[in-house]
Amino acid sequence: MNISRIYAIVLRHFFLAIHQFERITDIFLFPVLALVLWGFLSSFVQFQTPSLANFLLGGMILWVIFERVGSNVGVDFMFDVWERNLMNVLASPIKLPEYITGLVIVSLLKVLISFLAMWFVATVFFGFAINLYGISLAAFWVNLVFFAVVLGIFNVSIVMRFGNTIGPLTWILPFAIQPFAAVFYPVAVLPIFIQKIVWFLPISHVFEGMRFTFTTGRFQSLEFLAALGLNLVYFVIVIGFFTYIFNLVKRKGSLAKL
Amino acid sequence: MSKASKIPVLEVKNLVKKFKDFTAVDDISFDVKEGEILGFLGPNGAGKSTTINCILGVIEPDDGKIKMFAKDISQNRSEIMKKVNYCSAEYNVAWNLKVYEALFFYCCLYEVENANARIERILDQMEANEFKNKFLRDLSFGQRARISLCKSLLNDPKLLLLDEPMASMDPDMVDKGIRLLKRIQKENKISILYTSHNMWEIEQIADKVVFVNNGKIAAQGTPLDLTRRHFLADTDEPNLREVFIKLSRSEDEHI
Repeated sequence: MNISRIYAIVLRHFFLAIHQFERITDIFLFPVLALVLWGFLSSFVQFQTPSLANFLLGGMILWVIFERVGSNVGVDFMFDVWERNLMNVLASPIKLPEYITGLVIVSLLKVLISFLAMWFVATVFFGFAINLYGISLAAFWVNLVFFAVVLGIFNVSIVMRFGNTIGPLTWILPFAIQPFAAVFYPVAVLPIFIQKIVWFLPISHVFEGMRFTFTTGRFQSLEFLAALGLNLVYFVIVIGFFTYIFNLVKRKGSLAKL
Repeated sequence: MSKASKIPVLEVKNLVKKFKDFTAVDDISFDVKEGEILGFLGPNGAGKSTTINCILGVIEPDDGKIKMFAKDISQNRSEIMKKVNYCSAEYNVAWNLKVYEALFFYCCLYEVENANARIERILDQMEANEFKNKFLRDLSFGQRARISLCKSLLNDPKLLLLDEPMASMDPDMVDKGIRLLKRIQKENKISILYTSHNMWEIEQIADKVVFVNNGKIAAQGTPLDLTRRHFLADTDEPNLREVFIKLSRSEDEHI
């Protein structure tokens, strides 16, 4: 891994962000607006069930982090495809893992800014002190971001294979997972046969663990380890898939046509 | 014409690339020696860009070997590409960035030292300093092509792969671009693989020409040799336009 080349990718997206107002608003505005919406809803339900308010707002913040990282990696890759710049990048000494690492770092930096904005609004306007749960919650966030990165690499793989036309899937895929991820409700409310499937999603364990922490203030190591184990498995699978697709598009010549 | 040494900087041996039943590159072999400019010609779909993409490592050949600086590209790509650069009119250089930012980004990719000074120098050489703070998207095709050429010179390459680099430049800029390339090539002993459909460019710049058709090498030699062999035997002026037309229309004439 070469730091200069990874830095180059981060720098390129920084330059893009400072020139495009819509990209800056995408980092701040969408997450904050979503938080305001769910903040009001949480305020409403807080009178009846205070813990539900925490579930909703906490779930929403974590969901935005997941959705942003998951889709941003693929979207930022598509920027190079849209701008017909990818070939020039690939013709440089950069290695694909460096390129992807750069995209992941860009995504993490953006989501950090989004998170800080949401944290500020949630604390100041809705009295939701997410930092009260400290390290317990942070451990789940690591798993959440880990799975989002896996999803991002998967998105890049399918864009490499099918080109721009598959692009909208990059946005849709996180939302396709959402109903099964038990973001705003426990896994127990899902039909039994779906419950068996959702336990294979690391993100379901993350949200279950988060709810446990909100309810008890304690850390549920079993959910954490399940999410981590699944993440490691999916990470290995997605790296294998990515490598397979990369070699395939090189053989088919479609990489040069992106 | 430049004085080329005997050391091959780029060696392509028995390169084959098939896409299903279509053979895009059919057992091509050639080399580019240190300080040599090779004109790589052929009609549309002849296999030129596929060959260049194989050299760049973005298309995997079915057979054959590609070596640059005596090293196999499939084993040492990243190390080799530090000394190589590429320019094609077909691709943009970071469309939504300002020219300076885009070039700085590429300096980081190629680990160019003293990036600011390097960018200033190249922009000056290409008479493109006035575009420095403009967005690439706001430039004309020809101006963007100049910036693409600037990008390809940032890392002081030893081998340049130029795929119709001046396709959309006006004749004045083409002339300046050719002069600049020849001067840089002479000063730094750069080797260049140059494709173009403008035969004047090739006559001006190329030491040697490889003509491909239907994925095979149809002819190779100096521009004057090819003209004598395929157009007028007793001429002293190269005329690659006529050679191009004749070779493009004759499918059977292979060496």
